Amino acid sequence: MTEMNQDLFQIQIADDTESEHIAAPQYSYWRSVFRKFFSSKLAIFMMILSGTVILLSIIQPMFSGYSPNVTPNINRPEMKYIRPNATYWFGTDDVGNSLFDAVWKGTGTSLFVAFVATAITTVLGVVVGMWWGFSKRVDRIMIEVYNIVSNIPVTLIAMILAYALGSGVWQIIFALSVTSWVSTAYFIRVQVMIIRDREYNLASRCLGTPTWKVITHNILPYLISVIMTSISRDVPSFISYEVFLSFIGVGLGQQYASLGRMIQQYSPYMTSTPYLFWIPVAISAIISVSLYIVGQTLADASDPRTHMI
Amino acid sequence: MSVNNGEKEVLLDVQHLEVTFSNSKKHVFKAVKDANFQVYKGETFALVGESGSGKTTIARAIIRLNDTSNGEILFKGKKINGKLSKEDKKWVQRNIQMIFQDPAASLNERATIDYCISEGLYNFHLFKDEADRQRKVDEALNSVGLLPEHKSRYPHEFSGGQRQRVGIARAMIMEPEFIIADEPISALDVSIRAQVLNLMNKFKEERGLTYMFIAHDLSVVRYFADRIAVIHNGRIVEVAPSNELFHYPIHPYTRSLLQAVPMPDPEIEKAKVLKPYDQEKEDKSAETGGSLQEIKPGHFVFMAESERAEYEAIVAEMNKTAE
Repeated sequence: MTEMNQDLFQIQIADDTESEHIAAPQYSYWRSVFRKFFSSKLAIFMMILSGTVILLSIIQPMFSGYSPNVTPNINRPEMKYIRPNATYWFGTDDVGNSLFDAVWKGTGTSLFVAFVATAITTVLGVVVGMWWGFSKRVDRIMIEVYNIVSNIPVTLIAMILAYALGSGVWQIIFALSVTSWVSTAYFIRVQVMIIRDREYNLASRCLGTPTWKVITHNILPYLISVIMTSISRDVPSFISYEVFLSFIGVGLGQQYASLGRMIQQYSPYMTSTPYLFWIPVAISAIISVSLYIVGQTLADASDPRTHMI
Repeated sequence: MSVNNGEKEVLLDVQHLEVTFSNSKKHVFKAVKDANFQVYKGETFALVGESGSGKTTIARAIIRLNDTSNGEILFKGKKINGKLSKEDKKWVQRNIQMIFQDPAASLNERATIDYCISEGLYNFHLFKDEADRQRKVDEALNSVGLLPEHKSRYPHEFSGGQRQRVGIARAMIMEPEFIIADEPISALDVSIRAQVLNLMNKFKEERGLTYMFIAHDLSVVRYFADRIAVIHNGRIVEVAPSNELFHYPIHPYTRSLLQAVPMPDPEIEKAKVLKPYDQEKEDKSAETGGSLQEIKPGHFVFMAESERAEYEAIVAEMNKTAE
């Protein structure tokens, strides 16, 4: 055995700060959200699909200048009911207009109604829901409002309002969002109550943080994924609601093109010229499904618990 | 209990504190009953008791998270419970801070460490400009052994001990006089506990802080605290200096509690006969009512008048064996 030589050893000084280093790369919330979202191929496909539909519904009507009231071919029977072909991609309808033009104009209207109604519902719902979750006095009033509103069928309210206010885009937006924000607010209220008394919020109160700052810094960031879920649910449901209301005849009037009105108008043609009925139905289904999947994937991606992989 | 105990300055004075919780007018639960104690400036005052005995409730009542239903809490002679003006509330927030039990739950997971630590600074505008704020945060991180590079990190990237130190830095940056530590080491790994306790001791020496330390680990309390209050079922049963309490426990509950501490010798531990505390039999205050009385200088025991002779006999017995 060789003798231990002092020269072989060197004194190492332990550095406490060395053990405090975090080796993981910097974490950024939004970057992780996008990375997670774009890791889903289905979501990318659905996003491209819904993006195309949305863009078409905005841009195409600008070029076609389509309006349901302008019917130049109404007296030319040879222009009516042309099956889809190279010139008329979606064929022509019962008054001789191109269905391609009509569908995109209608999609634009339906999407506008759905997006505006969702925006109103979400903003109102989140603001009131936050307040509702924090204030006992607001809770006492709002819980009664919620009990009443949630016991009346939404369809009934929307129908009565659509009858009373007349048919128009803003009227139907009002009819759709006038009560729906209450359930969003209730949903947010429950979420707020769950995390309101967590220790980190108590710590903020000890540090003298005012309530509005607790809401914007401590509560809202936690609710992003929950709010996303609610949006991704609302947009398709408003599209189908508009379709449904127009279908039963209380939605938009004759002068508006909308998917719902087209489906209602062409449902008798289901056997004779089925493309008139099925194309609007298919577009409506594509929008609902693609937006729902995009929204749900985004909601999942915005939950940081999914980032730790 | 006298308000001024000799030369020591009373920082916090809790008198006849009562905290109740109720879900309706009929179901009222008294979490804290007639609590009386004083915390002197510069000491570490420990509150020990089993789960659900009201330790945390007292702490939260002091820091105004829980409403009090009766009694007074005086901080530097000023009443700080009940309705307060905005300025007084701010004064309490500036001077009393809390260290929380669960480091995983007490930090905002969606905010950077920079925001977590400077939250109090923002609320009270305790900085001249952005550079001054940065300097203060760096200093606070440094003082708890963390690095300035941690500022841009999120709480979930840290270990439990590091998070608890962030929690301490967040409280210390406010430069309070009185810190309530609600079981600050219970959720930590045993290897990290000493680190956090040493850190707290360091701050106490540097800044002349006063601690109220809540715990159920008696061996830690014995090492850390100057004076101990034992609480049982919302009632403070015994208050005494640490050494005194560990050597001469008087109240039967304190005796049972101390007896329950495991001995490191298996032979003794095996032979030990535990004597559990039976409130129904041993507490005579139910009918006649009782109060916290000074039985030896600085040693207070909760008793009914009928129990006084019994406890005095115990003291006499102890004095004899001590001689």
